[in-house]
Amino acid sequence: MEDVHRTIGSLHRGGAKLQLDTTDLCFLVALRAQAERATVASFEDGVLVDVFEQVCDVTEPGAPNKRKRATHAIERLREQRLLARVDGAGLVRAGDYSITRLGAAIVDFFAGEEKLTRESLSLLTNILLSQLAEVRAAARQCDSAELWRSRVIEPLRITVADLVGGIERRQRGMDAQQEEIQAKIGDLLRHDWFGAIDACERLLDETATTLQELNQVLMRDTGLMLALLQEIEQAAATVDARDAEAAAHAVAEQVERVGAWGGERQRAWSEYYQYVQRYLRTVVRLDPQRALSQRLRDQLAGWMDRPFALCVAAVAPIRLLRELEARVERPPVERPRRPLDEALAVEAPDVAPEALEARVRALLADGVESLSALVRVLLPELPGHERFKAVGRIAELVAQDVRVPREIEREWVPVPAGIEIEDWALVPRGGA
Amino acid sequence: MNDAPLYNSLEAVVQDDLFPVIDLALREGRHIASDEPAEFAFVREAQVFLEPLYRRYGCELVQVNDGYFYLRPSGDRLGRRHLSSAEMLVGQALALLYLDPATVQSGGAALRGQVVELLDNLVGKEKLVQALNRRRSGKRSERVAHEIVRREIDQALRSLARLGFVEVLEGERLRLRPPVLRFAEPVRGLGDPAAGLQRLIERRDAVIVEMEEGGDERDEDDAG
Repeated sequence: MEDVHRTIGSLHRGGAKLQLDTTDLCFLVALRAQAERATVASFEDGVLVDVFEQVCDVTEPGAPNKRKRATHAIERLREQRLLARVDGAGLVRAGDYSITRLGAAIVDFFAGEEKLTRESLSLLTNILLSQLAEVRAAARQCDSAELWRSRVIEPLRITVADLVGGIERRQRGMDAQQEEIQAKIGDLLRHDWFGAIDACERLLDETATTLQELNQVLMRDTGLMLALLQEIEQAAATVDARDAEAAAHAVAEQVERVGAWGGERQRAWSEYYQYVQRYLRTVVRLDPQRALSQRLRDQLAGWMDRPFALCVAAVAPIRLLRELEARVERPPVERPRRPLDEALAVEAPDVAPEALEARVRALLADGVESLSALVRVLLPELPGHERFKAVGRIAELVAQDVRVPREIEREWVPVPAGIEIEDWALVPRGGA
Repeated sequence: MNDAPLYNSLEAVVQDDLFPVIDLALREGRHIASDEPAEFAFVREAQVFLEPLYRRYGCELVQVNDGYFYLRPSGDRLGRRHLSSAEMLVGQALALLYLDPATVQSGGAALRGQVVELLDNLVGKEKLVQALNRRRSGKRSERVAHEIVRREIDQALRSLARLGFVEVLEGERLRLRPPVLRFAEPVRGLGDPAAGLQRLIERRDAVIVEMEEGGDERDEDDAG
């Protein structure tokens, strides 16, 4: 399949859908049967109407206006591309119709003609092996691109791929058949509990045998097919025939898929087989009158009035002890107490902030143009431990007294004491 | 065909890689069923050595005809517990589904929704809320009550899965396992169900629990 997303998108855009009622479906099946009986590829309008009326007599015996209903049914099937008009005359005259590939596939599914049996599978794999042997012989002799195309690529893409596709289609049919058998086993037990044991075991055994036989054929023949395909691939690779190599590779993948199906289905059926056998042994045989279900139903319904509980072992998980740790006494948070009678000391006022402020104002009045220039003048005047703090204070004072224009990005410049600051251009308030 | 036993001593059993896993599982109340072929085969092969081993812990290694093993503590050396109301209700519903031929069609799979539906139909919505909502007092809206029931059922399913009664698959799906038939044990056969239950109680497989208004259930033994 080409890009699946594209396919889904196109189906969604086109609003593609299929709606078939039972009568329409039976109509399609009847048409296909008619085509096979009369060995015709298409039907005239009148034949379609006749077939529809016959089907309608069975599916909806009392329905009125059968001819009108036939016209609508034909139209519905055409709209859904299950029937195609093949005469090309439009509305000019009554047309000829044929069943499309889609219609045929639906009929095949319901008519169940393509069953996978040991015989049909062996026949298909034998034809495939002989086809592949021919392609291998051709691959050894091809000496031109044209020969590779006509004798290797096309047979691989069309004949061989179609044959493998035929096996896959039958495998899908077998999958559906297995589901039907599972449903049948359920039905048998529902309707004839103890009496169904033999029939259930027979169905299980028959399917298991069929799957085992199919898997044996697949294991044997897919190995041979893959060996042939590998030889074709190698022959193509030797002469650099890329398309032939790719075609052989694609078929090999398809064959591997077909081979894997057998093993997977046999494994899955084996699990189901064991499950049903266990059920028959532990449930059906031990309770031939099928009383347990009803008694359990009564037990559950009355459980609230007489509750009981099953007991189970419950060993507590191993407890991991923590490392022994001495308990640490944390001292309470306290504030150092000062004696209340301590004499007050006289301390000189700290004038440094005011002095700095005065120096900043004086320099701004002198028309200093940038913060970095201001800082470079002031920092050397201050003690080393005050300088870092002072930069922030200077910037604050500057911002109060002058205008700092907005800039997209300000430059970082070094100033004394190993400090870098973001430089501001300073414009006196009221200036340009 | 070689019929020689796989293990000829307890030491050989203990040396098997599966021993620690299965020993812990059994002690935690897990049921080892025939649908786990390797584990089941190990217990079956080692049964003759495991039985006396567990007996020394005051436990019995029980093999049931339905195809599973479990450990039944009869003394006090190994812990034991009884299942909760939610686990019991859900377990019985699962057993009913296991018996239903419709489940055979799906290879032993059921849906969570089927469990809820069965409990709703057989126990009744109101009683179900009452049984699963016991720790919470006060009136609840219907939506909240149902949410609580759903949560309790989910929790019970997880717990029953740990015990080996069911396997919780992706989404809504459940795979019912043979040990789930233990919930039908009191009504096996055609005798009086009360006598069947009494037999289970005598061999310490079950206990009668007392539903208390507004509280969790407790053992009658403990009630004093």
